[in-house]
Amino acid sequence: MRELFRRINYLLHRRRYDAALDADMEFHREMAARAGRDNFGNVLRLREQSRDVWGWTWLDRGLQDTRYAFRQFRKHPGFVIASLITLALGIGATTTIFSILDSLLLRPLPYPNSTRIVQVWNTFAPRGMMEIPASEPEFLEYRQSQNFAHFAGFSTGAINLTGSGDPLRTAASWGTSEFFQVMGTEPFLGRTFTEEEFQPGHSQVAILSFRLWQIRFGSNRDIIGKSILLNGHSCTVVGIMPHNFAFPGNDIDVWQPLPVSPTSANLGNHYLSLIGELKPKASLQQARSEMMTNLDHLERKYPNYYGSATGIGVSLIPLRQQMVGNLRPTVLVLMIGVGFLLLIACTNVASLLLARAEDRRQEIATRAALGATSIRILYQVLIENVLLFLGGGGLGLVFAFVCLKVVSAGDYLDVAQMGGATLDLRVLGFAVITSLATGILFGLLPALKASRSNVSEVLKIGGRDAMGSRHRTRVRSLLVISEIAFSLVLLIGAGLMISSFRNLLNVNLGFDSDNVITMRLSLPRARYSLGQMADFYRQFQSRVRNLPGVQDAAIANQLPMSDVTANSSFDVEDRPANSDINVADIWLISPDYFHVMAISLLRGRLFTNEDVNLPPASVIVNQTFARKVWPGTNPIGKRIRLRSNAPWLSVIGIVADIKNHGPNAATSPEMYFLYTDQPFGDWESGVDLASMTLLVRTAMQPQQIVNAIRDRLKGMDPELPLFKIATLDQIVSSSTSRTRFPALSLSLFAFIALFLSAVGVYGVLAYTVAQSKHDIGIRMALGAQQGQVLRLFLSQGVRWAAIGGCVGLIAAAVLVRFMRTILFEVSAYDPKVFVAVGLGLSIVVLCACFIPALRAAKVDPLIALKSE
Amino acid sequence: MPPGTLPMLILRVLQSGALHGYGIGQRIHVLSSEVLAVEEGLLYPTLQRMLVKGWVTAEWGTSETGRKVRFYRLTPDGRQQLKQEVSGYDRVTQAIQEILRTA
Repeated sequence: MRELFRRINYLLHRRRYDAALDADMEFHREMAARAGRDNFGNVLRLREQSRDVWGWTWLDRGLQDTRYAFRQFRKHPGFVIASLITLALGIGATTTIFSILDSLLLRPLPYPNSTRIVQVWNTFAPRGMMEIPASEPEFLEYRQSQNFAHFAGFSTGAINLTGSGDPLRTAASWGTSEFFQVMGTEPFLGRTFTEEEFQPGHSQVAILSFRLWQIRFGSNRDIIGKSILLNGHSCTVVGIMPHNFAFPGNDIDVWQPLPVSPTSANLGNHYLSLIGELKPKASLQQARSEMMTNLDHLERKYPNYYGSATGIGVSLIPLRQQMVGNLRPTVLVLMIGVGFLLLIACTNVASLLLARAEDRRQEIATRAALGATSIRILYQVLIENVLLFLGGGGLGLVFAFVCLKVVSAGDYLDVAQMGGATLDLRVLGFAVITSLATGILFGLLPALKASRSNVSEVLKIGGRDAMGSRHRTRVRSLLVISEIAFSLVLLIGAGLMISSFRNLLNVNLGFDSDNVITMRLSLPRARYSLGQMADFYRQFQSRVRNLPGVQDAAIANQLPMSDVTANSSFDVEDRPANSDINVADIWLISPDYFHVMAISLLRGRLFTNEDVNLPPASVIVNQTFARKVWPGTNPIGKRIRLRSNAPWLSVIGIVADIKNHGPNAATSPEMYFLYTDQPFGDWESGVDLASMTLLVRTAMQPQQIVNAIRDRLKGMDPELPLFKIATLDQIVSSSTSRTRFPALSLSLFAFIALFLSAVGVYGVLAYTVAQSKHDIGIRMALGAQQGQVLRLFLSQGVRWAAIGGCVGLIAAAVLVRFMRTILFEVSAYDPKVFVAVGLGLSIVVLCACFIPALRAAKVDPLIALKSE
Repeated sequence: MPPGTLPMLILRVLQSGALHGYGIGQRIHVLSSEVLAVEEGLLYPTLQRMLVKGWVTAEWGTSETGRKVRFYRLTPDGRQQLKQEVSGYDRVTQAIQEILRTA
């Protein structure tokens, strides 16, 4: 250990040490000369030997080699630029995907003990429901679990923030008393809620997000203790959360206490998401079985509610899985795909390096003749190669930076919710390690080849080495074949994703999403009664309909493919109650809704304006509903009701199914009710008039029409904000974004890979032709035709394509199985894709071979044979 | 000089006091009744190695001719090393002598 210090000390004070050594030896020589002995020996060599002892020669040599390498680079700019760009593409793309992978799957979540945080859901397997929120009694029961250190329930929603500027509609979350303890994060300014504030009536307090504090309140520390108006109620701000806290969602700006009465028996309202932190020693399994016991307990305590339902279960999902689970296969596929691109890029550069090694044979042989050992030469060439890769890596980082900006801006893949994919230290480290690793791996072979050249052979006049060049070509052929194989795999992957995406786009949604703008508004219950709400919407709708350019307008409580879904159980007349089977999505609409959405009527009739004034008596259902509840019979006239104390409603019409949960999800049964001020069932299933979406069919520009509507709204009530403004097209396209991103990315990778492979093929064949000029000359002199020479070299290309293609097909057949989960209506072994890609690649390879082969055919035998 | 014995001899010579490079060579030459002559090509690299290993330190001083030159001095580690090397050398020499006597 101390020895290491001494060595480092030498390194730091090298000049002093060296000078001292020189002085010693100078003195020695003087004394020896005085004594008459003049045989001190080679001072230079002695100096070198003495300095070597300190063990830093490798560093000196490395620096020397680096300087030499840069001199070489300057002499061959073309080669350097080509390599740098190729590597930048490969390493840059890989770094980008790694950053996404890291932020979604690897980087620890910003909550302490995040690996122990789990969400708890009820499940009901017979209906395929795997994430059912809990009711208050369920929460109270589960909370007693011994396996959890902290346990909380929370819900999310939207609230209006008024009183300090423009009215703002934003997302809010309500959590029970241990909520912030589970997440392990406290406000950095102010405090969390006190026990008292969880009592009903005392919960008019709020904690704000960092972002809201910054933007709305100017980061003013005096905000603590001040009041703000939330949904018309005055609430005191007690704390501000740190800037990277984004639970349960990225858009949550306000947290409030959620009081839950310890004696609550509200079994019907399932609105609580449950989350808990496991104790250090507790396992997921233990916790789950304990929860099942609790559930048992509940079922026995409330037999009337749980009575008939068998198959209720509990599921515990670790937090990370909850947040990104379904993205894992996509990200992994992308990582493998980009890995292939990297391999192709590196192979290309390795091929270039081999060619360079060829060209430098003379220079290296000279150095060897002057006394350089082959290890020394190997070292020097390896340093050159690694420097090249590091340079490419550096350029690649710039490329990755740009790509990441694009990815974040486009909001693909929900990376934002995990903190965003950026070039942080981990990603930088990955880039450096990748550059070094690929540099050493792919730079070693050319360096070995360079250092092992046969000195006497090379220094002969002419320096032609017929046997050697064929061997070298074989290695480069191998490289080309592997490039072709990798490209094939990548192209097939991309082809499958594109097919998938195209299928997704072609799904018939059941409604016309063109030219429809949607926006949400909400009426605070403090100022509007139910009757006033219905009136308001009626008025508002007709005002909007009268705007120039508006073809039609309607109101609905939700939108297809949005995150707001409301469902409810119902009773069917003449049948026993079965609240677990009879569940459907519940829609509150105005009569024009189906017209605005262009959903077709299949049977019966739609709501009319007259129905609005009558007491609620009718319901419209979709085809899935009709088929499920009344298979094979005419449902018109049959009756259902939402609660046992609610009035019976008759089915008056059946509408066509729409893809209400996304193009790749099955349609769920839906029931449509006319919005009215008369209650026809409990409202707690998330359905109420307070918050509705306005749909407007218009050919005008969104911005213009939205401004006009805002004006109208201000005229009716200046404190109501309009929010979540989006065209229906945007909503539909964001539902396909999970497939769009991998399709686009893989296609991009495949395209770059194809281009690089073509360049690689061209390069190697051109090189072969150049090396074989003499042979061609002889052949032609002996009578070979141009056509024959052309065919000879083209057949080389065919051979490469054939071998590379076969290997690639086998590899693809093996790897494609992993894509099955993210493909949509495409078999992983779709023959169309395989064949198309195979043909396409072969054509590209042949085209790349054409020019060099042509050049070979055009060789003039006289010139070729003369230049010997 | 048998290979590998120079470090041991240098250490021994330095036991009685610090010397500069030339002085070490002279001492060895003189004490061995001019049988052993140290090559400069071997001496200095060996001295450097001993510096690396920490068996000697070098400090500036003035030579008998008034020149500034470095004197090499034995360190405690060096003393330890000397003991080890001497005992090793003794063992080997005895073994060789046994063979020569009896084989």
